[in-house]
Amino acid sequence: MPVSVLVVDDSPIARKMLIKALPPDWDIEITQAANGIEALAAYRAGRVDVMFLDLTMPDMDGYQVLETLRKEDLNCLVIVVSADVQEKAQERVLAMGAIAFIRKPITAEGLRDVLKQYGIVV
Amino acid sequence: MSEETESVGTNTTLSDDQRDALQEIANIGMGQAGSSIARIWGEFVRLSIPRIANVERQDIPAVLQQLVGEKNILAVRQAFHGQLRGEVIIVFSGGPPSELAELMGYDDTDRIEELELLLDVSNILVGACLGGVASTLGVDIGFSAPSIMGIDISPRDLIPADEILHSRALFIEVCFTLEQRSFACHLVVMMPAGEIARLGKELDRFLETL
Repeated sequence: MPVSVLVVDDSPIARKMLIKALPPDWDIEITQAANGIEALAAYRAGRVDVMFLDLTMPDMDGYQVLETLRKEDLNCLVIVVSADVQEKAQERVLAMGAIAFIRKPITAEGLRDVLKQYGIVV
Repeated sequence: MSEETESVGTNTTLSDDQRDALQEIANIGMGQAGSSIARIWGEFVRLSIPRIANVERQDIPAVLQQLVGEKNILAVRQAFHGQLRGEVIIVFSGGPPSELAELMGYDDTDRIEELELLLDVSNILVGACLGGVASTLGVDIGFSAPSIMGIDISPRDLIPADEILHSRALFIEVCFTLEQRSFACHLVVMMPAGEIARLGKELDRFLETL
């Protein structure tokens, strides 16, 4: 059964860059969302195993998504992918339940390292 | 701003894809700039989503006012040159320079030091933000020294329309806000039409790699 991946970013280019960086040998189904509201709708509508989440988005940002997921008993792996590389931003999202923080611009090598670290890919 | 040469037939507006790519690239540069000032000030910095707009000459003062608000501001300008040319206007609003001075750890907040402080902060922001954009696009740019553009002036008076030599400008606007203080800083990147066309080509090259 393929892993269900949700890519959340307001920028179509950023989503494209992330999807291109995903390991080609990873058996996945990809869904995309352009903001936090769409992300939560996708999360509630079906299975999401791994969520790649941007922080700075209109309507509902990444912090608000993390907060909502925590209130609703988070049961998917959230990897934050953000240009906001402040140490405090990284500390905050990890404290809010994200398993990892990847800084933009994303690279295939960096992404694979994080996925391997959490045993998501081998 | 200096006079530009605008060749006939060049595309002086960006396509949706180019704008989206520029927004994301600016976002990356802005994140680096935000991290730099967060380290300096030891405060969490809230970042806005970069806004990109093509603006006609006569609309530039009004758009600037729309971006930074009604209150009087302090502004610094800094030019960049090399494979891309333009000018960054750094607008400080929401707090007196003395508050900035306190943030930067300056003890003596006399006028000269306040102004030097604004130039220092501007230099850091522009270098990190534009440097990040240039690095992502793989182009070389350099920076001139920043200079004070206006103190306690209306945003509408910052650039009088009759002093603008370009027929069109590209605005790349990013905003940094300190979480614990009423202070905001806007960076508005202005590029003349000929440079917008050049930037468009660089963005196309970037998009082809995706």
